[in-house]
Amino acid sequence: MGRDLALLGPELLLAGAAMLMIVAEMARAARLVLAIGLTALALSTALTLPMLDAETSVFGGTYRIDAIAGWAKLILLPGTALALLMARAEIAGRDREGSVYALIVLVTLGALMLSGAGDMMVLVIGVVLTGLGSFALVAYPRDDAATEAGMKYLVFGSVTGSVMIYGLTFWFGGAGSTLFSELGQLRGQTLVLIAGLIAVIAGLGYKAALVPFHFWAPDAYDGAPVSVAAYLSVITKAAAFFAFAQVLRDLPREAGWPVALALISAATMTYGYLAALVQTNLVRLIAYSSVAQSGYLLMGVVALGVSPIAVPAILIFAAAYVAMNLGAFAVIMVAGRSLADLEGIGRSRPWFGVAMVVFLLSLTGIPPLFGFVGKVYLFMAAVEAGFLWLAVIGILNSVLALGVYLRMVVPMYRTAEAGAPDPAGLPLATVIAATAGATLGLGVLAGMFLP
Amino acid sequence: MPLLTIATFLPILAGLALMVLPDRSARIAHRVSIGATGAVFLITLAIWARGISPDGFAQVEEIAWIRAIGAAYRLGLDGLSLPLVLLTSVLFLLSAIYSARIGERAASYVVLMLMLETAALGTFMALDGLLFYVFFEVSLVGMYFMIAGWGYEDRQRAALMFFLYTLLGSLPLLLAIIGLYLGSGTFDMRAWIDAPPLTGIAAMLALIAMLFTFAVKIPAFPVHTWLPAAHVQAPTAGSVILAGVMLKFGTYGLVRFAYLMTPEAFARAGQVILAFGVVSALYGAFAALAQTDLKKMIAYTSVNHMGYVVMGVAVAALASDPRTRTIGLDGATLQMVSHGLVTGALFFLVGMLQDRAHSRGMADFGGLLGRVPWLGWAFVLSAFASLGLPGLAHFPAEFQIFLATLNGMPWGIVAILAIVVTAALYLRAIAAVFLGEANPKWADMPDLDRREKLVVVPLLILTVLVGIAPGWLIDMIHTTMTRIGG
Repeated sequence: MGRDLALLGPELLLAGAAMLMIVAEMARAARLVLAIGLTALALSTALTLPMLDAETSVFGGTYRIDAIAGWAKLILLPGTALALLMARAEIAGRDREGSVYALIVLVTLGALMLSGAGDMMVLVIGVVLTGLGSFALVAYPRDDAATEAGMKYLVFGSVTGSVMIYGLTFWFGGAGSTLFSELGQLRGQTLVLIAGLIAVIAGLGYKAALVPFHFWAPDAYDGAPVSVAAYLSVITKAAAFFAFAQVLRDLPREAGWPVALALISAATMTYGYLAALVQTNLVRLIAYSSVAQSGYLLMGVVALGVSPIAVPAILIFAAAYVAMNLGAFAVIMVAGRSLADLEGIGRSRPWFGVAMVVFLLSLTGIPPLFGFVGKVYLFMAAVEAGFLWLAVIGILNSVLALGVYLRMVVPMYRTAEAGAPDPAGLPLATVIAATAGATLGLGVLAGMFLP
Repeated sequence: MPLLTIATFLPILAGLALMVLPDRSARIAHRVSIGATGAVFLITLAIWARGISPDGFAQVEEIAWIRAIGAAYRLGLDGLSLPLVLLTSVLFLLSAIYSARIGERAASYVVLMLMLETAALGTFMALDGLLFYVFFEVSLVGMYFMIAGWGYEDRQRAALMFFLYTLLGSLPLLLAIIGLYLGSGTFDMRAWIDAPPLTGIAAMLALIAMLFTFAVKIPAFPVHTWLPAAHVQAPTAGSVILAGVMLKFGTYGLVRFAYLMTPEAFARAGQVILAFGVVSALYGAFAALAQTDLKKMIAYTSVNHMGYVVMGVAVAALASDPRTRTIGLDGATLQMVSHGLVTGALFFLVGMLQDRAHSRGMADFGGLLGRVPWLGWAFVLSAFASLGLPGLAHFPAEFQIFLATLNGMPWGIVAILAIVVTAALYLRAIAAVFLGEANPKWADMPDLDRREKLVVVPLLILTVLVGIAPGWLIDMIHTTMTRIGG
């Protein structure tokens, strides 16, 4: 018991901090709420470091402390800290400011549970915890757009969540256990396996914004504050893929489910980019682009269990995605929500311009940036798993990606009327500097750290 | 001393240093640029002095990178890459000198230029598949921004077309590299060359992917259409780098990857590759003949000259006699260098003409030889070199290529017709621009100034030197090609 609790240190710390933050918010001490959140995230990250090599589980195998969960924490916790800074820059001084920080930390707790899930019930708790917090975050501005977005998100989330719980009962029936490690028992029970899997794809695919469960994403991102959109687009999405990795690596590769997932992957990346090509609202554009990026991440899921680099591929690309997408959103917060707002920003704010180019080229997959390294891993995993065609589609989609992202780069270097821009503020500058540094540098270093 | 690494990363480090300098005026920027490219030039001379080895790669520098998948930071040289490295450092130094008059956003321009030099040197010296791809792609980004930022009228469209075309073109190479990796378990290009990991249909697929990539880059007919647009719109130094250095990525890759890593498939597809080479050579010559825009004309002659390179490599793969193979590869490699020198000079000269007249149309000029003798004679000499006159740089290269073709695949010799066409088009251009009745509009056109002479004269000297005494260069190339071809 004591050992289990010690291994759960990062999660418990975060849970405790979230409670404290709610208390502090009652006193309307928003800065204190933020400070508690950032400190807790930093401590929690520090607690994770010694556990990276662990390969164990706690509470009878229901919660896993393994490489996926460990690296997931290293990705999600700093990502959350950056999102908190972004939120601070956007909503400082507004009503109920502290509750946003508290909710963000709670949702991240749910994301950690998703990435460590070893049991169906933990998975469900993770889905519900991330879902409930996210609905509230989206609806935070309380205007029509936000309310509609939050409502859509809630309805969509409740339906897919219920479907998932319903489908998991099939697996429980077939395997006789709620533990994912027992999913091997499903070998041969094709129908049960498929029924449960469809439900899991619905539940997690909704969080990951996979086609055809992506409809909520552009509306929700656009209705929510930009910082919340940034947060949801990276943290809950990455967590959904970590959960995919935890669940599907134990599932027998039969009944052709890898092919089905590969088709979803191909459809998701193609649809995402095609839809992004016609957007003029930057938040919606990035929303669709992040749908496409989900398609790429799914390539790693497809290769789970066959290719030994599938898990590193998911982790590396997820890390890259968190850095570059947060960075791109941060620049959008500086520039404005419309494509026209980018006009001339490369000239008037040269550093942010360079950073944005780095993020966008990395999203496209241009070497030597972090996103490229992640994509190479994903392609290698897919080819090794025998899905050469999927890698080809992924590579062809990089060309669509170029069209999507160059549409943003080109106006940045057109001359716009010069006016001295307002200073962006320290929190945003910090976020952009950190994410740009990670996008530039970590690609080269990633290979050295991973197992 | 890891000279290769220093030469590769010195430019980008100088660029980064410039970015954080408090004073980023044009003067400082160009000093940094000339200083860095000059230093790289000296370092490459030192690398040359260290020499290459007749058996494999020399001066290898290796650091583990991603151990788990056998990717490492590996640089090295042989007789194929060393001449291109020297060419790169010369052309970048001259471009830096030429560009010193650019005042508009000079610091950004210099940073891009230096980034391109790092990418180019890295591409030629990388011995790791992933690393090669990284450098190969970084060059695209640099060139895109250079065309889009400092080009002429229609630059946005040309830059976008260039980027889309070459990115689409380079992605198949990534697949081929992944295929080679899965076949061998390492990204070490030396291992891929020593024991080609793919056979049969896999090798053929990898070859097709690679050929697609390199054909776009070379560019070979019919995927050359991005080239005239990019060249015409690019700033002068950009054109020089694009033609002089970046087109060689394609031909270098053709030999280094396609020829060496999938040799059997390459030999089987040899006739088709040869046909593409012949068609490119002919098509490039005839298309150039139809141009009235000087820059476009030179751009199309690049398609012609690169077509000869493809022919030389294809013949080397098809021929059974090792001597013929070596001659073909020697000629192809020498042609890459000659083209860089001669076309580099031609693009500089047209750029200088355009700086003065703001026009590139042949019909706008006439009788300039008397008006601007330095510019005129330099152009005449370079044009003669480009059309393959004996005693100038292209002659020894094209002679070897045609000799190998005649020995190995006689039908390919039809491409020699292109030489006649090239001669005609250059004579026509010289007649229209520099001879005939002087257009009074240009009566007070100034001749080349000191800086411009400093840019052009070294290239002319090298053009003559390679033409009359190519031994020093061919020996270097031959060292490696006897091994590859034998």
